Amino acid sequence: MESIIETAFFIGKGVWLTLSLFVMSFILSWFLGSIMAISLHYKKMIKPIKIFISIFRGTPLILQLSFFYFVIPRFLFFRPSLFWASSFALALNGSAYVTEILRSGLESLPIGQFEAIKSLYIPRFYAWKDLILPQVIRNVFPSITNYSVALIKETSLISILGGMDITRLFQVISARDFTYFVPLCIAGSYYYILVILIEFFSDKIGKKFYVEH
Amino acid sequence: MLNINSISKTFNNKKILDNFSLSITKQGIYGLKGESGVGKTTLLKMIQNLEAIDSGTIEVGVKTSFMFQDFQLFPHFTVLENVIYASKFCFRSSKEECLYKAKKILQDLDLLDKISEYPHRLSGGQKQRVAFARAIMIGAKLILCDEPTSGLDFESKENLKKILFSFLNGESRVSFFIVSHDLEFLFSVCSETFLLKKPD
Repeated sequence: MESIIETAFFIGKGVWLTLSLFVMSFILSWFLGSIMAISLHYKKMIKPIKIFISIFRGTPLILQLSFFYFVIPRFLFFRPSLFWASSFALALNGSAYVTEILRSGLESLPIGQFEAIKSLYIPRFYAWKDLILPQVIRNVFPSITNYSVALIKETSLISILGGMDITRLFQVISARDFTYFVPLCIAGSYYYILVILIEFFSDKIGKKFYVEH
Repeated sequence: MLNINSISKTFNNKKILDNFSLSITKQGIYGLKGESGVGKTTLLKMIQNLEAIDSGTIEVGVKTSFMFQDFQLFPHFTVLENVIYASKFCFRSSKEECLYKAKKILQDLDLLDKISEYPHRLSGGQKQRVAFARAIMIGAKLILCDEPTSGLDFESKENLKKILFSFLNGESRVSFFIVSHDLEFLFSVCSETFLLKKPD
């Protein structure tokens, strides 16, 4: 029993890294994804964005992480930490998916809404902030939850690069104690609890956004 | 107030407007009739600059606003928010003034008990009145109405006539340009009715 608690504590130290990596890459990917989706909406930079999406969706995430951790720093004057390199890689990868999610949400808005905004002389920035994006986010909310749940599990890939997250600590402790069953269950539970929390909060926020048509 | 000089428009290789001209100088209610598919709505959208013109010019001397057939209220805003939102960017008036003005217009339109409802809870006629209030609030002096009578029953239509005249003669002095194929309605409200014909 004591060893189970010790294992749980040991692996639990990785929750912070997993969670902060998730939050950072989530925010960055939505920031980048919104910019690209809006840019596509105004038919600007279509080619480069399409190529970007195609490359980041078409190659394995682990290769992208390695690229940002091992290759990119050679062209910089400083060496970003594993945390920043992998946040960035996860965010760029995620932004490709977010752009597509938002694009489908934008296409589901009636053209009349854009025309109404134009004929009421509402400035572009406020139109996006108060009228378009709130409606789009409401439409794509289930996809956002889906993406978040996938993202938090994808963060486990940094264990391969040596990041001390839940997965890495599970590997360390099972190599030390020559046991897999208990550490596996504990690591799995941590991820599962995080996913349940995400679903709980997105349900709460989703209800707030929800308006009947 | 409105001057349309020999405009033309081609849609998918099909000519829908050919050298069309029209001029409105006085305040009033004007109608535009024509068969379906001749480009009435397209012409209306061109006046509001929602549709590009191939050739010719449209000069608009007053602020216009477009009333959509399906109203296009903002579904995540209440009635009051729908009415106030756009006006924030048009006038430098304070929040209280805005609110006072909006409530007065909504009261005239008999919507005061609906101000905190969302659009999906309103009937077609009520949505239309909210759309009117929204256009009046931004100070539009010419309201372009696309098929305002579609989906209205007899009573709502009578009510709509009353609303049009109250804005025409009230302090806001609004003019209307109405596209419709409801001829009975057009003849009963319009001081002048134009005809849009298919180009030969």
